[in-house]
Amino acid sequence: MAELLRLAAFVSSLCGMAWLALAMPAHWQQVRGGARRSQRAARSLRGLGAGALALSLLLSLRADHPTIAPLVWVMMLTAAAILVAVTLGSRPEWLRPLVAFVPRASTRDSNAA
Amino acid sequence: MLESFQKSLTWVHTWFGLVLGFVLMSVFFFGSLSVFDREIDRWAIPETRFGPQPLPSYDRVLAPIFARIKPDADELAMGEARVGKPLPAGLPLKSWSVYTTHRDPVLTLWGEFAIDNPNAPEDHVHGHITIDPRSGAALPGDPLAIGSRFFYPMHFSLHLRWLSLGYWIVGLAALSMLVALVSGVVIHRKLFRELFTFRPQKNLQRSSLDLHNLTGVVALPFHFMFALTGMIIFAEIYLPLSETTFKPFHDAHERAEAAAKNLPLKPAGVAAPLASVDAMVDEAKRRWAARDMPGEVGWLIVEHAGDANAYVAVYRAGSDRVSLVGQQIYFEGTTGKVLYEAPPPSAIASISHWLTGLHLQHFRHWLLRWLYVLGGLSGCVCIATGLVFFVNKRKRRHAEEGIAGARWADALAVTAVLGPLTAALAMLVANRVLPGALPDRGEWQERTFWAAWLVSFLHAAWRSAPAQQARLAPAWREQCWGVVLLAAAAVIANWISTGDHLLRTVSARYWPVAGFDLALSCTALIAGAAALRLGRNERRQSAGVERDDALQDDDGALEAVHG
Repeated sequence: MAELLRLAAFVSSLCGMAWLALAMPAHWQQVRGGARRSQRAARSLRGLGAGALALSLLLSLRADHPTIAPLVWVMMLTAAAILVAVTLGSRPEWLRPLVAFVPRASTRDSNAA
Repeated sequence: MLESFQKSLTWVHTWFGLVLGFVLMSVFFFGSLSVFDREIDRWAIPETRFGPQPLPSYDRVLAPIFARIKPDADELAMGEARVGKPLPAGLPLKSWSVYTTHRDPVLTLWGEFAIDNPNAPEDHVHGHITIDPRSGAALPGDPLAIGSRFFYPMHFSLHLRWLSLGYWIVGLAALSMLVALVSGVVIHRKLFRELFTFRPQKNLQRSSLDLHNLTGVVALPFHFMFALTGMIIFAEIYLPLSETTFKPFHDAHERAEAAAKNLPLKPAGVAAPLASVDAMVDEAKRRWAARDMPGEVGWLIVEHAGDANAYVAVYRAGSDRVSLVGQQIYFEGTTGKVLYEAPPPSAIASISHWLTGLHLQHFRHWLLRWLYVLGGLSGCVCIATGLVFFVNKRKRRHAEEGIAGARWADALAVTAVLGPLTAALAMLVANRVLPGALPDRGEWQERTFWAAWLVSFLHAAWRSAPAQQARLAPAWREQCWGVVLLAAAAVIANWISTGDHLLRTVSARYWPVAGFDLALSCTALIAGAAALRLGRNERRQSAGVERDDALQDDDGALEAVHG
């Protein structure tokens, strides 16, 4: 059970880091090509990212003793950030499914990005 | 104002980073290996390849072995050097102790012997015997535990024992690490905007700076906490206040504490036998279980052993906590009566135990162990890319001006980055191929380690000459091939000398050896890939198509900032 919780915590921190990265224009461009993303989409990506990181902390706390869990969580964030950066650097298209829910920006708010 | 502040911090970051980077590289690398020190011990001492064992019976197994412990020859030599005259035979015994974790199949028993040193009343020397707890038999020949007795001390002392110089250098390096982290954050103008930026397809200078920033920033909590807790662990050495300014307070506190705990501070000088320690251990376990934290013994000390004032301290192993050990219970040696049961630690003590425990990591958590290795290796990447950036930035200018600075920095970078890897691998190969009956076998392994590092330096000095013409030094590529050969040789030598090849250890799920062989194999693969890529870059460079020293894209400002 603890192993599953830790796995879930890691997946969650991975998604969280990826969403935080994709809220940035440069990385969004890498993943979705020329299509710009709206300001609103950026905000929701940031919110999702922060939420996923918080969820990952909660899952870590369920998996381990409260004195160990924060260490595991912080190190998971590091591992997740490195993985996201390396993926963005070599295979950015792998992150596309994570933003599949964001529609192509309408012309109205695309300039705001 | 900010501009000049950033400029001066850039200077600090660059030069402290360069000078202490050479040391930090070793600290991080051997620290990463130390995460799995006990597993490396299993690889290096094949006769100890069996599962971890609980503490055996003190009365039946340990007591007769403790009685046999004599001071170690090297400890005696160092003690004589401290006192300045030969030590008498039959030094008075101070204490016996044994420490074990959930990862230890073999057990080392320690004895502490008082020596008469007018300058240091508490001065003592140690002796030890390592046993197989299943049979109680001593391990023949006292083989060198490469992980816990060589790589681990290398991590915090560099094996420079003279004047404890190694501890001081490592402490200074840890302090510089903190300085480098803070100054790095200040001079990094796009900390958040470039948090996830890594462009491996860009030129060497850009991609190494990306990697430097990435590993420095995302592993910052790890780097910061480990540099800080490392210094906290050795604070007593760096700031020996309890032995200098606060000596009277320290002594008064020691007396008050002993009185409060009902523990005799000094031996009575009257010989007396010890009551059953097994009964004390049972009582300790019963009390831990009653506190809803059942556990095993992690540390057991017999203070004033053999004396009427003897007492026994039994500590619970912290496998399920961050703190190493705790919940200690003290027993009167001659009767087995409980003298004192430690209350839950104060907030300050808890924080202190947590800080040291998170660094020394004796807890049972394999995922966190591997994450620590990732943190340690990202530190290595951060320092190595910093060194590469430093050299590349100056190479062309130095070549034009006829200065050899960049070339020598490059040679030292190769020695600092690939030297430890080469030395460690050569030592492991020596461990498997040196004849078993060779006298001083452990010392020969150590000599191999230092000799291999020296060869790495000499080779780097010789083969970094092209750096003087602003070209890639072939030393990097050639030593990567050396790493491939040595890592593969270590895996094969382990197979031939013990029969434990990967198929066998993996199918038997014997992870200490399987895991280390897999790590060695990965090392060979990564070093091979790096060597091939370096070869491609060298060929491209000699064809004259690429400059690798410029940050050509969007901002030259970064280049200016990075000194």
